[in-house]
Amino acid sequence: MSDDGDSTITVNGKAVALEPNDTLLSAARRAGATIPTLCHDERLKPVGACRSCLVEVEGQRRLVPSCLTKAEPGASVVTDNARIRRHQSVLMALYLADNVDAAATDDTADASELHELAEHVGAPLDWPRLETIREQRSIDRNPYIEFRADRCISCARCTRYCDEVESVSAITLAGRGSATTIATADQVSLMDSTCEMCGGCIAVCPTGAMTEKRPLLQLLKPATQLKKVRTTCNYCGVGCQLDLNVDEAANEGRGQVVKITSPEPGTMPNDGNLCVKGRFAYNFVDHEDRLTTPLIRNADGSYREAPWDEALAYAAKGLLGVKERHGADALGFVSSSRCTMEENYLVQKLARAAFGTNNCHQCAAT
Amino acid sequence: MAGLVTTFGAGAMTNSIPEIRDAEFLFVIGSNTSEAHPIIAMEMKRAVARGATMVVADPRRIWMTTIADRHLMLRPGTDVWLLNAMANVIISEGLTDPEFIERNTEQFEDVVAAVAEYTPEQAEIITGVPAEDIRRTARQYATTEKAGIYYTLGITEHSHGTDNVYALSNLVLMTGHLGKPSAGLNPLRGQNNVQGANDAGASPVFYPGYQRVDDPAAQAKYEQLWGTKLSPEPGMNLNVMMKAVGDQIRGLFVMGEDILLSEPNVKRLEEGMNGLEFLVLQDLFLNETARFADVILPAACFVEKDGTFTNSDRRVQLVRKGVEPPPGALADWEILKRLANAVGMSWSYEHPREIYREMAQSVPNFAGISHERISERNDGLQWPCLDDEHPGTKFLHEGGVLRGKGQFQAVQYRPSYELADDDYSLLLSTGRTLYHYNAATQTRRAPGLHAKQPEPFIEIHPKDARRRGIAHGDWVSVTTRRGQVECRAIVSRQVRRGCIWMPLHYAEARANLLTVDAGDPVTQTAEYKVCAAEVVKLRDGDGANTFPGSFYAAGGPGVVATPAE
Repeated sequence: MSDDGDSTITVNGKAVALEPNDTLLSAARRAGATIPTLCHDERLKPVGACRSCLVEVEGQRRLVPSCLTKAEPGASVVTDNARIRRHQSVLMALYLADNVDAAATDDTADASELHELAEHVGAPLDWPRLETIREQRSIDRNPYIEFRADRCISCARCTRYCDEVESVSAITLAGRGSATTIATADQVSLMDSTCEMCGGCIAVCPTGAMTEKRPLLQLLKPATQLKKVRTTCNYCGVGCQLDLNVDEAANEGRGQVVKITSPEPGTMPNDGNLCVKGRFAYNFVDHEDRLTTPLIRNADGSYREAPWDEALAYAAKGLLGVKERHGADALGFVSSSRCTMEENYLVQKLARAAFGTNNCHQCAAT
Repeated sequence: MAGLVTTFGAGAMTNSIPEIRDAEFLFVIGSNTSEAHPIIAMEMKRAVARGATMVVADPRRIWMTTIADRHLMLRPGTDVWLLNAMANVIISEGLTDPEFIERNTEQFEDVVAAVAEYTPEQAEIITGVPAEDIRRTARQYATTEKAGIYYTLGITEHSHGTDNVYALSNLVLMTGHLGKPSAGLNPLRGQNNVQGANDAGASPVFYPGYQRVDDPAAQAKYEQLWGTKLSPEPGMNLNVMMKAVGDQIRGLFVMGEDILLSEPNVKRLEEGMNGLEFLVLQDLFLNETARFADVILPAACFVEKDGTFTNSDRRVQLVRKGVEPPPGALADWEILKRLANAVGMSWSYEHPREIYREMAQSVPNFAGISHERISERNDGLQWPCLDDEHPGTKFLHEGGVLRGKGQFQAVQYRPSYELADDDYSLLLSTGRTLYHYNAATQTRRAPGLHAKQPEPFIEIHPKDARRRGIAHGDWVSVTTRRGQVECRAIVSRQVRRGCIWMPLHYAEARANLLTVDAGDPVTQTAEYKVCAAEVVKLRDGDGANTFPGSFYAAGGPGVVATPAE
């Protein structure tokens, strides 16, 4: 093993080849080691704030944060032993003492990473609770994002995301010590700040301190009772991957999209990021204005509801009539770059094969 | 699309979105990226944070200019001058890539001749961009290895949009910034499936995969596939079709577009609609166009159906059904199938994957793509993808330009169709905001987005506002030769003097009552970005702080960075 000490480290006795910019965390994870993290996110610069990822490095007296420590060739790392487990257990117990019960986070519909981790490391749950002294931004009229100070552990994932990924720096760590909180400048509403409501803070928060307002109002079911469906956003041309959170029993069993969440970082093309439209603009799906029956115009200009077969026969007859009277090229087919590839294929096939015209286009051919 | 097909042989982003973060030089022109493509903007922000240089060319001060090394605040519609002047600098200072030009391109000498007159000093007079800024940008672009250009409709929605694309292509070809990661020419698509709709042949001149309808071989292929005779006559493109509505066009089928909100010069279109004999509309909601429809067919939205969208970087990704449509609505593909069968076809598709398969087998570049393959991946498949083993293509032109030889296209500046004059002394541009999307039938039904931007507005420069007695927040009338709308005035230095800007999202103040339908001679894409307009005060605002927190509002975060005049 010492032969290739130039380019490898040892993780729990197993040699791992190093890659450029490897930290102990990235190399160890590649070696299959499980290292808990709270403040870490692949998209952010590591800060080593939460101390969850401490590991033992041969020749070093103290445990070191693996997310922040560059992997030096030849290092020998242990990620799991009694000392590390005791550290993790005490750390999680301290976090929980300044936090809420696991059951109380159900309403965010996303499992709290903190509580999962505490359970995983067997942290004692019966330590005395502290009264939180973090300042809450009590009245924030923004419609989407809620900050719950009692759940915050000041890991700063949200503020770093807001700085480093979204680059709007709307929220920041403020105060000191156990009063450290997540604030806006002058504690104004996010609506009046530089916030662009991307909701990335919600997606990265490991404790449910940053959460979504809308589903809370709707008494959302816990995450375990929702089905996640990976799909592609329907707004701009980036093609972000997102997860529909579906309550399958809602809407008389048709199912309802109750929330949209980001996939894991590393899911391309959006690397797990979403914008305000992708994450929040889905109310239209269940809007009362949705059309639910074909309509045929009466002679007086009013509309009447019609069954599908009748409406389709009427549409076919109308279009064929124009073709008979004026020729196929008197027909125009406007397809849509909002619809699927398959539907666009069918529109042009309809125009060409069924009606005999190439008058087929959509608004997006520039 | 047409411009890049001519010059490179494929109309799509040459790079992938994840490559943007590794770029060393980013030239962003005619793209309000942080509002229209927020996620791509995140990649650009990451590149800049890493140390990349970004130059933004835009008539407006947009968010991206706050992190750019340089903002080239050019006059609307003068892009060809700016870009030809950059080419002039690159050629005259010997910064071209002669080896790449020799091996991969043709007709470079045309461009050399054409741009000789376009000196940076002359360009400064026309564009308003300092000559030295043009020089420095050209030098940095030419001498940086990973240099990418990113553009959107600020380039294409002009009566000289194709010329703009040619001028950009020329810069790419003369510097050899092609066929490499993070270096290329990248149109950022505005709708989820712009690329897919074009790839699928929703085009008057192309079958799927850009096979021309007047190519007998392509015609024969589709006649065999579809079992029917087909017309070799290229059809009307959208702009021509809209102008012919009520005249040559007597019957219209419209799926998923509110043409009376989205097409330019809608007043004339509305008159034409009265001459239609039959209109079939297929949509989620009643919209402006519905007033003229004979039949309206209720469609399912994206969470209620299966299929694929192809994004800006040629990535075919699955759209998965999460919920059932409302009772009575059907997926568009099902409606189309039943409509086709009602006119005598016998289409039997049971699932969109069968439709994709039929299309993919007729296009070599898509042959390796299927719903089944994509569902096994978490990053889609990027065309060209030639067979079932092919991994897809992250960036184009790696083994040489797809067209064979990259085609230089010399272009000369042509002024926009309509310029400011004594009667209409301001230049109006239209665009999108972060909080709304196109006709806004979806986003204006989201309470939070509505709260952020509830009303139509224009941005007007303080000096232009003062001269007209307009204060921030006042209600004004915006008039052009085609129409008039009312909206709030945002007095802001984000726009140039003499220029106003207006979002296109509001049905009660349809920007497209104002725009011109003069089209680009090649694509017929209309000039949404420049027309002459005048603004008159109607009544005082109510003193409300309009759009608090908006980057562009007076007192908004964006204004802080604005130097005083």
